Amino acid sequence: MQAEALNQIPIFSSLQADTRTAIARRAFTRNLPTGCTLLVEGLPAEYGYFVLSGELRALRMNQDGRVQILARFWTGDPINLISLLSQEHVNRATIETLTNSTLLVLSASDFNDLIHRHPDFSTLLLRQFAARLTKMTDLAADLSLYAVRARLARFLIELADLTPSHAGWTQDEIAAHIGTVRDVVGRLLRDFESADLIQRQRGQIVLLNRDELTRISKD
Amino acid sequence: MTEPIIPSINLTLCNRCTQCVSGCPEQSLVMTERGPEFIKPITCTYCGDCEGLCPTGAIRAPLWVTWDAHV
Repeated sequence: MQAEALNQIPIFSSLQADTRTAIARRAFTRNLPTGCTLLVEGLPAEYGYFVLSGELRALRMNQDGRVQILARFWTGDPINLISLLSQEHVNRATIETLTNSTLLVLSASDFNDLIHRHPDFSTLLLRQFAARLTKMTDLAADLSLYAVRARLARFLIELADLTPSHAGWTQDEIAAHIGTVRDVVGRLLRDFESADLIQRQRGQIVLLNRDELTRISKD
Repeated sequence: MTEPIIPSINLTLCNRCTQCVSGCPEQSLVMTERGPEFIKPITCTYCGDCEGLCPTGAIRAPLWVTWDAHV
């Protein structure tokens, strides 16, 4: 991989030139189509990834095959870091692509070597962990401070404010993200529709009343 | 005429349990040798019931959230 290619990736911009060169020497890119499984939960963690483009999701499956969506990853996000750094060294979730995606790939040994030799790479990972921990803390606060109705209203506003290039969200994914179950999301969406706050069309939720949704999001 | 948007089915995840077929309120789905298929996409209302019934996450009926043009 060319070191110049790394210069175009925002998360690597804080790295020193020799670190970028070291990453480029070890890393390779992988292109995956939509709906492709990148990692399988429980198998040995052999690679770490950074999303260069596209969108992916992490999920876990119970013994009955029931799926829970854990997280989504966009450009710049690292994937499988916790699995590589933990003692068990197994993939902690299944990862699949939601859109055509390009990933930067580092083997576990190269990953560890970069951590030991390049402190700025370690700092980059710590920042990523801090961001993820902040997100989890915010989610925990949301779960204890706000009702599900408020969390859904806030999440709908967030999604509507995003650029339209993001992949759509299933009701299960929305439920997992705001800490509830699919049935509750479905019921609340029907409530919002009855109150003329949203309109549901095929594959689309159109938000009709920003003021009222914002008010509900703070309840 | 453009095809209506319908839920996507990942046949590699599908375990052929047929819950989506029996649970579809419009009978839009049938089980084929390949897996479930929408035989009458036009009758699918995108209600998402098939997605909710699917135990393996093979069916996705994603929603895109937008603001109304007048908001």
